[in-house]
Amino acid sequence: MSASDPPPLISVRHVGLAYANPLARFTFGRDRRIHALRDVSFDVREGDKLGIIGRNGCGKSTLMRILARVYDADTGTVEFSRQVHIQMLSLGVGFEGSLTGRENAVLNGMLLGKTRTHMLERIESIKAFSELRDFFEMPVATYSSGMVLRLGFSVAMETEPDVLLIDEVLGVGDAAFAEKSRQAIIERFSAHGTIIMISHDPTIIAALCNRSVWIDQGRTMADGPPAEVSAAYLKAVHGG
Amino acid sequence: MHLSRYWGIIFYRTLAGIKAESRQNYLGYFWYVLEPLISAAIFYFALSRVMQRGGPEYVLFLLIGLTSWQWYEGSCLQAATAIKSKVHILLHFDLPKFIFPLVSVLVSTWKFLWIFLVIVGVSWAFGHPPGWHYLYLPLILGCELLLIVSLALPLAVATSYVNDTLTVAASCFRISYFVSGIFFDSSKVPASLLGAFYLNPMAGILESLRDVLLENHAPNLHALLYGALLSCGLLLAGLYLSFFVNRRILKHVGL
Repeated sequence: MSASDPPPLISVRHVGLAYANPLARFTFGRDRRIHALRDVSFDVREGDKLGIIGRNGCGKSTLMRILARVYDADTGTVEFSRQVHIQMLSLGVGFEGSLTGRENAVLNGMLLGKTRTHMLERIESIKAFSELRDFFEMPVATYSSGMVLRLGFSVAMETEPDVLLIDEVLGVGDAAFAEKSRQAIIERFSAHGTIIMISHDPTIIAALCNRSVWIDQGRTMADGPPAEVSAAYLKAVHGG
Repeated sequence: MHLSRYWGIIFYRTLAGIKAESRQNYLGYFWYVLEPLISAAIFYFALSRVMQRGGPEYVLFLLIGLTSWQWYEGSCLQAATAIKSKVHILLHFDLPKFIFPLVSVLVSTWKFLWIFLVIVGVSWAFGHPPGWHYLYLPLILGCELLLIVSLALPLAVATSYVNDTLTVAASCFRISYFVSGIFFDSSKVPASLLGAFYLNPMAGILESLRDVLLENHAPNLHALLYGALLSCGLLLAGLYLSFFVNRRILKHVGL
């Protein structure tokens, strides 16, 4: 990084987080907490497509929640260079079965950080993208699980965050909609916005991201081009 | 921008809660009116006809006390679990933790307002027509709502950390149920205990409601003011607590 480079959009430094252990209520001074993250550091620059790779249970989802400002880190710092709208790609989370698809689209958009007016302006394109037709005016309780995912994905695509956090989701719904949604995500990857994606699959990271960070047992193991990081990760996974 | 967004979320969630509750029953919204009417009829039959303990006046007296108490206790205890029950949503979005307890209180409040309308109708039917003192009703109900919200928030936070809080709170409400003046008025309280009786803000609120609905005179404004000040203090403390734990609390919920 040269002196003229702009500061990183997100700067993660020595971040650690531990969960309380429900089986160890009386710890008598001993640390019985479950350490999800111990020492994670990396930068995210404007427009980065960053892939975070690691085995199940390495702390990827906890890191996502810290970046989404659901948790504060116990140790270390997460700094943003400006006011940033960060959104986790959470499909159908927070939908209310008694409300219609239209009402849920507005409500979900507000949960994702947008105003009611913003969502109402985009409601017809959400309806069109979801292909739910008359079901859009029906309570979500009448939807199949695939229809819920369609609605969730269509809402998420209309919220335009500064940073999109993706947790292993690429295509959703039946075969036709899965392809459509996969294309929509890939288009996001080729646009200017910043994306952070977590996965345990190095081929997806290598195909879509320009940078990659490998996390293992709550620590940053490597940070660099996806091909190099993926190679180091695969070597460790296969015990090479 | 954030506040308008939060109010939007609260509005839609409240709407969803009301719709969901009405759809659980075959008769839907009709129960809002039917339920208090059935309660009134049961009280009337049991107290006036079977036990010969007071006439319609005592039934009304009890009905006002019981329904207002039910709004208070039910709202607080439901709100106490509001953060825990919505943790699957809160783990995905950066939202202030007061939203779901507040939604829970508003859904209960909507239901209570219908019940209250029935009580006003029943009072009228038993010879207590609306008078100009009814203008005090929004103030009294506002004081009770403020008290509920001020208790709901710290309860929801505490229950998220330690589930046992709910059991302790339920026991406290049960004790308070018998000493808040639901079954008796302040004239039955020994003079030496009146100060302690009014320390409980619900005592002043229940008395004020009866003053307006049954006695057609102004409420006990001193008791209401005390309750409102206490509630404001609790609310500020609850909001501070809620912001303080906002990004820590979910690490403990569900454990």
